Amino acid sequence: MSKEKQKAKESVLASEKFFRGIAYVFMTILSLMAILPCLHVISKAVSTGENVISGNVLFWPRGFQLEAISYVLKETEFFNALKNSLIVTICGTAIAVFTTITTAYPLSKSSFKGHKVITMFYVISMVFYGGMVPAYMVVRTLGILDTYAACILPFAIVPFNMFVMKSYFEGLPESIEESARMDGAGDIKILTAIVVPMSKPVIATITLLYAITYWNNYFHVTMYTKSASMRTLQVYLYNVIYNSQTFAENTLNGLTININSEGILAAAVTMSLVPIVALYPFVSRYFIQGITIGSVKG
Amino acid sequence: MKKRRISVLMAAVLIVSTMVSGCGGASSATTAAASKAAAAATTKAATAAAGAATTKAAAAATTAKAAAAKTNVAAPKGPGKVQLKRLGYNVAFDPNKDIMASVIKEKTGYDVQYFTLPAQNSDEKLAMEVAGGGDYDVVQCSVNQFQTLKSQGALMPLNDLLDAYGKDVKSGVSEDSWRACSDENGTIYGIPYKYPHPQEVAAFMVCRLDLMKAAGITKVPTTIDEFYNDLVALKKFYGDKYIILSGPFRAASEGNENWVFPKTIASAFGIYNDWMVDKDGKVYYMTESPNFQKMIDFLSKCSKEGLLDPDWAVNTTDTVNEKFSGGKSIIACSNRAGVSSTTPAIIKNLGIGYDDLGYIAALSGSDGTCTYMRTEAINQVTVILKSCKNASDAINWINLKQQNQLFINIGVEGTHFTYDKDHKISPINPIFAQERGNSYWYIDSTNEKEYAEEWPSRVRKSDAQWAAFQVTTLDVNKNTPKIFVNNDFAFKPSSENYSTYNTSLFKSLNDYILQVLAGTKTINDLDAFKKEWANAGGEKVRTELQTWYTSFYKNKK
Repeated sequence: MSKEKQKAKESVLASEKFFRGIAYVFMTILSLMAILPCLHVISKAVSTGENVISGNVLFWPRGFQLEAISYVLKETEFFNALKNSLIVTICGTAIAVFTTITTAYPLSKSSFKGHKVITMFYVISMVFYGGMVPAYMVVRTLGILDTYAACILPFAIVPFNMFVMKSYFEGLPESIEESARMDGAGDIKILTAIVVPMSKPVIATITLLYAITYWNNYFHVTMYTKSASMRTLQVYLYNVIYNSQTFAENTLNGLTININSEGILAAAVTMSLVPIVALYPFVSRYFIQGITIGSVKG
Repeated sequence: MKKRRISVLMAAVLIVSTMVSGCGGASSATTAAASKAAAAATTKAATAAAGAATTKAAAAATTAKAAAAKTNVAAPKGPGKVQLKRLGYNVAFDPNKDIMASVIKEKTGYDVQYFTLPAQNSDEKLAMEVAGGGDYDVVQCSVNQFQTLKSQGALMPLNDLLDAYGKDVKSGVSEDSWRACSDENGTIYGIPYKYPHPQEVAAFMVCRLDLMKAAGITKVPTTIDEFYNDLVALKKFYGDKYIILSGPFRAASEGNENWVFPKTIASAFGIYNDWMVDKDGKVYYMTESPNFQKMIDFLSKCSKEGLLDPDWAVNTTDTVNEKFSGGKSIIACSNRAGVSSTTPAIIKNLGIGYDDLGYIAALSGSDGTCTYMRTEAINQVTVILKSCKNASDAINWINLKQQNQLFINIGVEGTHFTYDKDHKISPINPIFAQERGNSYWYIDSTNEKEYAEEWPSRVRKSDAQWAAFQVTTLDVNKNTPKIFVNNDFAFKPSSENYSTYNTSLFKSLNDYILQVLAGTKTINDLDAFKKEWANAGGEKVRTELQTWYTSFYKNKK
């Protein structure tokens, strides 16, 4: 290799190393920005009360106690809220994925008469929102206020997710479906035996998106429910934060110093992280797939 | 071409109808436009919306109807025969599962289902529940929510019901409180709950007496001059080792708004509220007080001499608490909720005792001025909706609760409390906190005089709160009761300009004071601030408050 070419190659390697170094530093800083607040909260949840109140806790527990976590698990509505969140998320996601698939598939077929008009209805509902009051009136009229159905059905289909799935279905080769039809398969058989297995990446992504929507939903749960027993985890957490001063003044007085408003808050947040942290290793690859699903063609 | 025209026409129809429903708000539920949108759902939804519209339209006839209904109050079905539903403000616990639910059922016999509003958007949720025909028997609402419901004609007049089944409620609430919940004809629309202690020094300062004694200060200052001299002496003795005075205490508590300067200091300059009334009955703003400039000068001087926390402008309530309980500051702004956590922490952290902590309530000026606003105000109002089918039972239940006020809110003598040598109630911990800690949420009405005597026991369940309360409130009430001045607007209903402008006016006042403390503005900028304040709605709020004040107190006389 000539000297010029070798020099050019070396300079490319050097600049690549430099860029990689910058990228690593940048990613490390971003990671720390995400991890350190979590460490701070977890440390507060298990640190002794006097250290928490005095602001002595940074990223590692000072003193160690489990009274705050024990109080959250035993004396507050944590498990009831967790149960509600799990029911809403699991049932809601299942219903939403089913309705999205069964809506997207026929709309992806150009032979389906009226598919353009129906698609336009979904576009309009994406662009225009009827408002909080009409939505509330609909839910109330259906008689499902203060039930799990009120937390699930209003999001049983999200038009954007449906369009993503529709686009994917449109990209599947028609020849496979035609050959299945020639073998005598009907629409439902084709959908369940051919289309769905071929669409696992997009279905996994949409499932994740729905699950995150249901799990994080706060506003609509507060609008459609009124019983404290129907609170989901997000509503429970917000209530603990919102009422921390009153909680401390009225409920926690007379108890130990380890059970204080900041400690209870930190313990409630820490316990709420547990289900997500436990589940994440199993679904992380679908997150990555979801990000790249629309990027690579052909 | 024809197909395209049909498609375009259908799209236009869809867009118009969607926009009509999309333009709806809370109030449109009562208009014909919202009725059209709701008709896309079901007939029942349209009936509910139309019903709300009829209710609003019939508000003018309410008084006549109330008079006609004088002899027509239904008898209550009685405990055990009906299940009541009560809606209240947001709390972190489940009120159906709390021990108080069974305590109240035991005493009154009524089975009650409890519901709560959300923490956010509670006003909107309440409006939707009422407009949608919510079937609550008792609704506990804030003063603003009460005024909104009253103006919409959604509330049942209570005069006859109270006369028939709520005699204890009627006699236990003061006349001023009733007037705040009635219209000009004397029709009562809500049962007020007044803050139980009329003269509490809610915002005070807590100080390290051990450090002060080491610096040669033998007692807690009571005048502004003593206070300043003590700050200077502490600075001279300790230098930068400690923060001399930490603040502000931004958490709102019992009428303590988010002031960025201590009320303890403001009292020495005769400033007790953002809006005040002079001896001629004229309403004026804090910045128009003759002593406002002197107060700003004082704070500015303290800041320049390094007597205030350098982080004063950015401190939050938590950081002020952290600095004091961590032993970094000598004097800190606080309130009862603050000391309930900082005092145990500082005792454990530093090994000091209660005797090493002192409290500064309200300082007097050089001319003897000392004013602190009474904490007497309506905290919440309990109402009965027009749609309620069990109104008599609801009032009967509230009356029964008030009859058993001591048992429900405080407990059983010997189990939850005892009487001390002064015959004051002393709670027994931890059972008092465990079994009566959340009773505050279940209160709809109290015998105001009796509850003012019973309520301090709820403060007493915390040693830290009680230590501060004794010095800052009980001792001040005993020794210097004349410092308390009326809360001129305690019974003021919600009003348009006040709701629209006052929060931003107060924020701009706080910002100006912080800028003076930081040195970016001076007292010379006060005139410019006043002009901006007037244009930003200050004069509109003043006119509104003046009109109300004159009318309310003229009618009282």
